[in-house]
Amino acid sequence: MSAPLPPKPQEPLLTGRRIIALWFPHWAAETSRADYDVAEPFALIDMHKNAQRLVALNGAAGKAGLYPAMTLPDARALLPDVQTAMADPQDAAARLQKCAYWLQRYTPWIGEDTPLETSDGLTDYGLLLDISGCAHLFGGERALLEDMAARLATYRDGRSITLRAAIAGSIGAAWGLARFAPSDLTIVPEGQDAEAVLPLPPAALRLSPPHIDLCQRLGLDTVAELARFPRADLTRRFGPTPVLRLEQALGQAGESLNPYLPPPQFQAHKNLPQGVTQIEALAVLIGELCAALAAQLQQAGQGAQRLDLALTRSDNAVMALSLPLAHPSADAAHMLRLFEERLTRLSGGLDAGFGIEQLRLAAARTAEIVTPQEHISLSGRLRKAAPMAALGGLYDRLVSRLGANVVVRPVPHASYIPERAVRFASVLEAQQSGDDVSSIIDPATRPLFMLCAPEPIEVIAEIPEGAPYRFRWRRVLHEVTAAYGPERIAPEWWDGLVGDRQSASIGHNRRTRDYYRVEDTQGHRFWLYRDGLYEREKGQPRWFMHGVFP
Amino acid sequence: MQRALNSQVKKANRQHKLNRLQTLVARHEPVLQAGASITTGFADIDAYLSAHAGGGLPCGGLHEVAAETSADMAAALGFAHRLGARFLHHAAEDDVLLYGQTHAACRDGGQPYGPALVAHGLSPQRLVYLDGVTLPDLLWAGEQALSCASVACSLLASSDSAPDFTHSRRLSLAARNAERPLILALGSTGASAATTRWRIASLPHNGWHVTLEKLRLAYDTPPPTGGWAVYSHHIDAQAQQQNPHIMPLMRRAV
Repeated sequence: MSAPLPPKPQEPLLTGRRIIALWFPHWAAETSRADYDVAEPFALIDMHKNAQRLVALNGAAGKAGLYPAMTLPDARALLPDVQTAMADPQDAAARLQKCAYWLQRYTPWIGEDTPLETSDGLTDYGLLLDISGCAHLFGGERALLEDMAARLATYRDGRSITLRAAIAGSIGAAWGLARFAPSDLTIVPEGQDAEAVLPLPPAALRLSPPHIDLCQRLGLDTVAELARFPRADLTRRFGPTPVLRLEQALGQAGESLNPYLPPPQFQAHKNLPQGVTQIEALAVLIGELCAALAAQLQQAGQGAQRLDLALTRSDNAVMALSLPLAHPSADAAHMLRLFEERLTRLSGGLDAGFGIEQLRLAAARTAEIVTPQEHISLSGRLRKAAPMAALGGLYDRLVSRLGANVVVRPVPHASYIPERAVRFASVLEAQQSGDDVSSIIDPATRPLFMLCAPEPIEVIAEIPEGAPYRFRWRRVLHEVTAAYGPERIAPEWWDGLVGDRQSASIGHNRRTRDYYRVEDTQGHRFWLYRDGLYEREKGQPRWFMHGVFP
Repeated sequence: MQRALNSQVKKANRQHKLNRLQTLVARHEPVLQAGASITTGFADIDAYLSAHAGGGLPCGGLHEVAAETSADMAAALGFAHRLGARFLHHAAEDDVLLYGQTHAACRDGGQPYGPALVAHGLSPQRLVYLDGVTLPDLLWAGEQALSCASVACSLLASSDSAPDFTHSRRLSLAARNAERPLILALGSTGASAATTRWRIASLPHNGWHVTLEKLRLAYDTPPPTGGWAVYSHHIDAQAQQQNPHIMPLMRRAV
């Protein structure tokens, strides 16, 4: 027999780390959009293995003897008037993420729960919060946990959410205690994780169902009994994962927390003792946050490229405003001006409800601020700021009030098809010079203004293939005095070959166009085309107005 | 004798009062000659402007370009773009032209077409376009642009409603203080405090009929009421000669 291995170090690897594990045993049912009586049994059903099964229950259903993975006929036999609705796992996951976002009021570092292998398609809803160094802000760990539980109890318009939570020094311990500890809220004093975890059943170690079965067959009822075995024997019997889970629960192996939303590097927040409803007061508070954030950014030589402002209402709704910036900025006054612009233009005004309790401002994306060298010119006029920065500030203000898809610049694109020869790109995108279209398009033959979409017109031509003689556009009859053309533009041969059948099926993209520049008796000049050729292309040719010359 | 003396004194008094008022007005109203100015590129108009407006169209000011009828909006916008291009040419290399339209102007007149901009002296790289906003937003954007040194000129188009006198006055003051031009292309006009107001109608054979309806501080020599007929091939003669498409296929006697 080989010499016994040296004992594993018993000291926890990471000290001072504090993790909250939250477990919502009835999350999917309790947050379901379905309308049901909260006091009566309710279950969400889904098709699984060709049978309708219960996938989530509320507390009353559990007490009535229903259990997850039960088939619906069985449940109805037991409880004829059970309320049911179809399950929507994506929706439940989205609501969990929303809840995680809301929980950022306690800590910026919120993690997804370890995905658990379950055999029956059931999902376990939980969250992990790293609150190291945060608890004192809320009056200690006990106060923080009770505050969280109280707020979650009223989280969703009156429907309370069942919550079990535990605070421990490792993710594994907190996870197990949240699910298997005797009380709903458990707090393990620092350094006593192992003592707290040992009396729990082996399932508290995040084991997969086959491993739990194996433990039962071996008669291992607690973690302590499992931990008594030499690790090498356990590895041989169970494989590496359960051993790793055991060590993680005891705090002997490290584990990292996978954040839902990576915590921003630069952020400022403000908790208010009382809800604020007035927009003027909010503006003052946002100004303070902007100043705090700008100071942080300036110290790091960084500028914000996107600002996220989250306003938490006293009824726990989170309103998020996101502001993109054209150029990285660390200017508090500029940021505040943008937010004021946005706040005054929120659709339907700012709904502050019963007041806003917390404000959080973060620089979601940052970049180094490059200060360009100032130009000194002896003859030219003096410029106050670098031109790009000045334009960037203007673009920010325009975009924050008017929207990014409104403030645009044209980007030429090499195409013979007139409406494809240019596209509009937001000014916030990097400036592109675009293609050089002068070689294929003579600018003098193109209208200065192009209609947003070609408009059908009624045309009388002298000969079918010829120029229009008179036409009616927007109910006005125009007599043509001069016509220049035709300029024949055939569809690009690759049109409809590459991928999208959608554009290929649009009729007038597929036919040859004859463009004419015409002038009417009053001297108004138009750009119109006949779509299709007589007898050579299928369908009757139609006329369209496409642009106007100045 | 006494009566003649009296009338002389009265006359002198009146003249003195007038002089004082004129200096007062001059102090509060910056004169046209103060800032830089541009030429329009049309010989007749430039001749008048150089004689009566201190050398050309002043850069610091609000210029209104109005359409004669609603069908002439494209012509008015074309003239406004011509002025904008001249202002842009006058400015530094990387300055931009801000062109904003209301929703109605966008729907009626369409969007600026990139490939054609070059023919009108503009480059797509130097154009920032606001694609459909409300009139208050448009005026706000114009004011913001005036406060930015890198916007050489802003051109705002509204085909249905015009700003009222208060807004016009506000923009006019802002433009004169910033010494940067602001052009309003309007389908309908009301009372305005603009430095100049032009009225444009289309003329057959690629022409515009341009009337200068208002020139601020040129009370003594009002612009010709008949206006000017200008033709774009007076400017682009060379370009048009090179262009094979220019020959009409048909020309009807009207």
